Amino acid sequence: MWELLARSLEASTIFLFAALGELVNQRSGVLNVGLEGLMLFGGTAAFITTQATGSYPLGFLAGLAVGGLLGLAHGFFSISLRGDQVVSGMGLWILSFGLTTYLGSPYTGPLGLSRIPAVFGLSPFFLLGVVLVTAVWLVLFRTAPGLAVRSAGENPAAAEASGIPVGGIRYLCVVFGGVLAGLSGATYTLSYNPVWNYNFLMGWGFVSLALVFFSMWNPWILLAGASLFGIMWQLSLSPELVLPGVLSRYVWRMVPFAITIPILTLISTSWFRTRWGLTKPEALGRPYAKG
Amino acid sequence: MRLGRHELTLEPRQALPPGYTVLIAAGAIVVALALSSFLFVSADASVLGAYRSIFAYAFLNPLGLTATLQRAIYLLFCTFAFLVPLRAGLWNIGLPGQVFAGALAAFAVPFALRGGDTQASFASGGLIILMVVAAAAAGAAVGGFAGVLRARFQVNEILVTMMLNSIMFWLVAYMIKEGGPFMSPTGEGESFALPPGLRAPLWRGIPFTALLVVAAAVLLDLLFAKTALGYRIRALGENPAAARYGGIIPVMLSLIVFVLGGAFAGVAGYHAFTAIPGVYKIAGNYGFYGDLAFYGLISALIARGSALGAVPIAVLFAGLSLGARFAQGALHLPFGVDYALLGLLMMTFVGSHVLYTFRFALRRTTAEVLRPVAPELPEA
Amino acid sequence: MPDAARRVHNLQRVVSAPAAAARGILAARRITKRFPGVLALDRVDLDVAPGEIHAILGQNGAGKTTLMNILFGLVQPDDGALYLGGRQVSFRSPHDALAQGIGMVHQTRRLVSAHTVLENIVLGHPRVRGFLDLRGARSDVQALGTRYGFTVDLGARVWQLPEGERQGVEILKALYRGARILILDEPTSALTPPEVKTLLAGLGALVRDQGVTVLLVTHKLPIVMAASHRVTVLRGGRVAARLRTAEATEEILVKHMVGRDITFRTPERAAAGSPMIQVEHLTAHNDKGQLALRGVSFSLREKEILGIAGVTGNGQDELAQVLAGLRPAVSGRVRFDGRNVTRLSPLERWRMGIGYVPAERAEVASIAAFSLVENTALTYHFDPAFARRGLLDDSGLKGLTRRILTDYNIKAPHEYARAQHLSGGNLQKLILGRVLSRKPRLLIAHLPTQGLDVEATAFVRSALLDAKAAGAAVLLISEDLDEILSLSDWVAPIYEGRFGAVLPREEADAELIGAMMAGLGHREDGER
Repeated sequence: MWELLARSLEASTIFLFAALGELVNQRSGVLNVGLEGLMLFGGTAAFITTQATGSYPLGFLAGLAVGGLLGLAHGFFSISLRGDQVVSGMGLWILSFGLTTYLGSPYTGPLGLSRIPAVFGLSPFFLLGVVLVTAVWLVLFRTAPGLAVRSAGENPAAAEASGIPVGGIRYLCVVFGGVLAGLSGATYTLSYNPVWNYNFLMGWGFVSLALVFFSMWNPWILLAGASLFGIMWQLSLSPELVLPGVLSRYVWRMVPFAITIPILTLISTSWFRTRWGLTKPEALGRPYAKG
Repeated sequence: MRLGRHELTLEPRQALPPGYTVLIAAGAIVVALALSSFLFVSADASVLGAYRSIFAYAFLNPLGLTATLQRAIYLLFCTFAFLVPLRAGLWNIGLPGQVFAGALAAFAVPFALRGGDTQASFASGGLIILMVVAAAAAGAAVGGFAGVLRARFQVNEILVTMMLNSIMFWLVAYMIKEGGPFMSPTGEGESFALPPGLRAPLWRGIPFTALLVVAAAVLLDLLFAKTALGYRIRALGENPAAARYGGIIPVMLSLIVFVLGGAFAGVAGYHAFTAIPGVYKIAGNYGFYGDLAFYGLISALIARGSALGAVPIAVLFAGLSLGARFAQGALHLPFGVDYALLGLLMMTFVGSHVLYTFRFALRRTTAEVLRPVAPELPEA
Repeated sequence: MPDAARRVHNLQRVVSAPAAAARGILAARRITKRFPGVLALDRVDLDVAPGEIHAILGQNGAGKTTLMNILFGLVQPDDGALYLGGRQVSFRSPHDALAQGIGMVHQTRRLVSAHTVLENIVLGHPRVRGFLDLRGARSDVQALGTRYGFTVDLGARVWQLPEGERQGVEILKALYRGARILILDEPTSALTPPEVKTLLAGLGALVRDQGVTVLLVTHKLPIVMAASHRVTVLRGGRVAARLRTAEATEEILVKHMVGRDITFRTPERAAAGSPMIQVEHLTAHNDKGQLALRGVSFSLREKEILGIAGVTGNGQDELAQVLAGLRPAVSGRVRFDGRNVTRLSPLERWRMGIGYVPAERAEVASIAAFSLVENTALTYHFDPAFARRGLLDDSGLKGLTRRILTDYNIKAPHEYARAQHLSGGNLQKLILGRVLSRKPRLLIAHLPTQGLDVEATAFVRSALLDAKAAGAAVLLISEDLDEILSLSDWVAPIYEGRFGAVLPREEADAELIGAMMAGLGHREDGER
């Protein structure tokens, strides 16, 4: 039982890292729907690097770097070119999906290195996740730069008129989001399930995106949500632990995705929105032009 | 970017000169192909040799050409499935899920009627039509589900359709693997074989679905150009607030476009597994067809919503993906050349997207740098 | 200038003696700015003396806002230079301008509505870095507020504040940043007359007691006459005149602003017809779920104009949208020509003869990327005369569009040009023409002349009178009291979602209406 919980928490870090990064860049006003693509590319880069060099730190570094670079590209298109953020995000997803399938295929199979050890029975990444959540919360809500980020996402014109470089802040946040997405992918391929297969995320990135909405852009609620999804995902992989023999395992795999839909619907109803929906960054997804 | 006394800037474009659309689309494709030359660096043959083998197989070889056209039909249905909601400003990325739904529904027809013997022959004509209709209806239902949620509750359609993709993917797995209802008697992780009487009729190797797809292209363009419904869809896509003002109801239209789009994707599912010789069953690698559907997405984007304009693009992509897979085998390239090409095409498309709304301009640098200004205040 | 205007804006001069203009504190030389297709500023010179209120006067499109944006660093000039205290300076962004002591309060609010007043004031402040010390900042800001005479509840969320207080927050914010030069862009356009008085008094005190310099950008003559020491008049991107206010009159200023005389048409008193629309106790929520319309009742007959006067944000948006069918009513009833239409869709209302001209002409009333013909189709796609058997009658729509372009004197390259290429005035004429071509029996005109120049404004007002003469009942929702008083048969001031009264024009005194727009006589239970 404890094993299952520990494994669930490790799974939840995949969601957590990516969603936390996306939360930050959404707070600054930039929407990145191609999150899954950044996770895929970061994970693939990390896997290839580690397999080639035998070094975990180098692999993680590669994952972070690739994620950050893709985040930068998304930022360039969305901020400097003021393009449609959904088009850019979708583009990054399909780009990553296509390229990683090709680039990673020679490396299909297990990583073949000794696993990253657990810390006090828990995955070290979960602990890192908690630290990151705390840090993000502190910075966003208790510091002046955090206030600047939140203002850029609510009313960039107001932020600009207060002397805040909205473009620069958004770039910073979108790169940060990309780095965290890369971290998420690297965690998957190097620790959680160190076997490379094409499209190894199978839709998790989009679940992470949904989690940002569920969390109402609050890092602590995000942590709770990610943990819940981690448990649900782990259960769907090994349903025999809880309900042996009931339903084919393929049906269980559907469950986490199926649950997302009613939750998404619930938080979209006007009833929910007027009570809690005011937390959405007002300028999210809208290109901003100075003056 | 400064260049001597001038500066290179991006300015908003006032109007798109005619012919630019085609030029930019063609440019994007060419750039993607050029970039894909990197993929062949590890190949046996030269880069040019690789391209030559791709095009020769796809368009010059009679077997290859037939395969290209068959795949083009598939891609076009997927293109239309994405294109219709796109005109209304909505993203239907649920193509794979709707394709799978269509495939399952099509195979449900012989499954339901077999009475125990999967190989019994049937009266074909009417049943084939039934299969097509069932596939369209299933795709429409899956698409419509996302459409309703979007219309009624403003749930983000990207998220819902991605969830549905995963759900449908595992549903197909359940149906055809490990003792599922559609599993083939030989238990190879694929569905039962389609009874010979129910295979799609061919003419010189091209299934009748070719007619359907061409008719669809013409009708779609007419719909958007000439009809009130098409006008309303376009208005909704351009400016939802103004559309509401003009009495256009977003709920109905969102539902309609997703139902129509889903129906096209469902028929694509029908075509993929019942109309391509050699397949005639829901294959174990059905996921690949789901991935292929994204070529349709890109075709629709590059064609900027024009159904007829998407036809040559889809044919080209069909040929490229097939040729790339062929070249992959012939030149001992790693798996996934066609996927890589897909990715590059998307990248160049997004890059070219900028050119529709901006243009590069060379302007003289601002005077502040050029002309020295008096440091002390001169008289007015 | 109509008499009404003079009566309404009979403000005391808040400024006593002209300030000593020894050495200019802020100056600009030969400022030029080009945007694609238009020369916004053409070699503009400006001189501002320390400790004065300097008015920048001009119509919409004269270049006032562009000039201020350049002074504040939001926009870079193509040519020319700025001088602060005699030294040349250049601002790459508002950050630089703020560092040099220039603060700006914009025409539209630049506040984050979801955050508190204090959070908005400290946003971007150089002294507030790292961890937020809100307690220390709070006492500083409060002290500043009392000293300068602008007090606001620092813990309130901005979306909870009325417009006048929000502007106070922006002024306080600029002062907290250490602004010695305050630029105010059209500060009075969203204020009620009492709020205007308060603002001008506050500015006068700032200038007199604290030595702050104020640049007041406006298109309103009475404000210039009441509040400024000197005025620079802009017209078409150039400086048309530079005057000491004491030596100017409104007529002189109008001449410089416009370049010639404009006459306004006076309405004819026509006999009213049968009741066209009856509204009973209409209530509705706004987008945030709060009750914005709290029980509005009135009735209007054919050939009558009801002018609803109020500052934006008092329920007018919601009223217009409910009557047009774009927002559901929470309770109450709307009867049009005897029929209960409360739950009717926008489409059916168009069919019944209700026409709506929204305030947001580019965002709601038209589709920028569509051609003019396609924009015409926006209110004709359901009309059997133009859509038969599902197909749109393209040639019919084209003919209609061409007629509208001619009749309304709209400058456009051709019928298939995109709507985004029309200027604001021409777009508004097109929208009006499209709506009026349907010969509506009820016309809802929401801020129809907002942002238009004098010619377009006169045209639009004339069109409204034509519609009235043709037999329509017209609802005119406007912030401009002059406009209401010159066009309406009935006047209803609106405040916080209720009508203060519905008065016939003869009884509608400008002072009384202005006071009711600000809430005089308004009680919580809604009774008057």
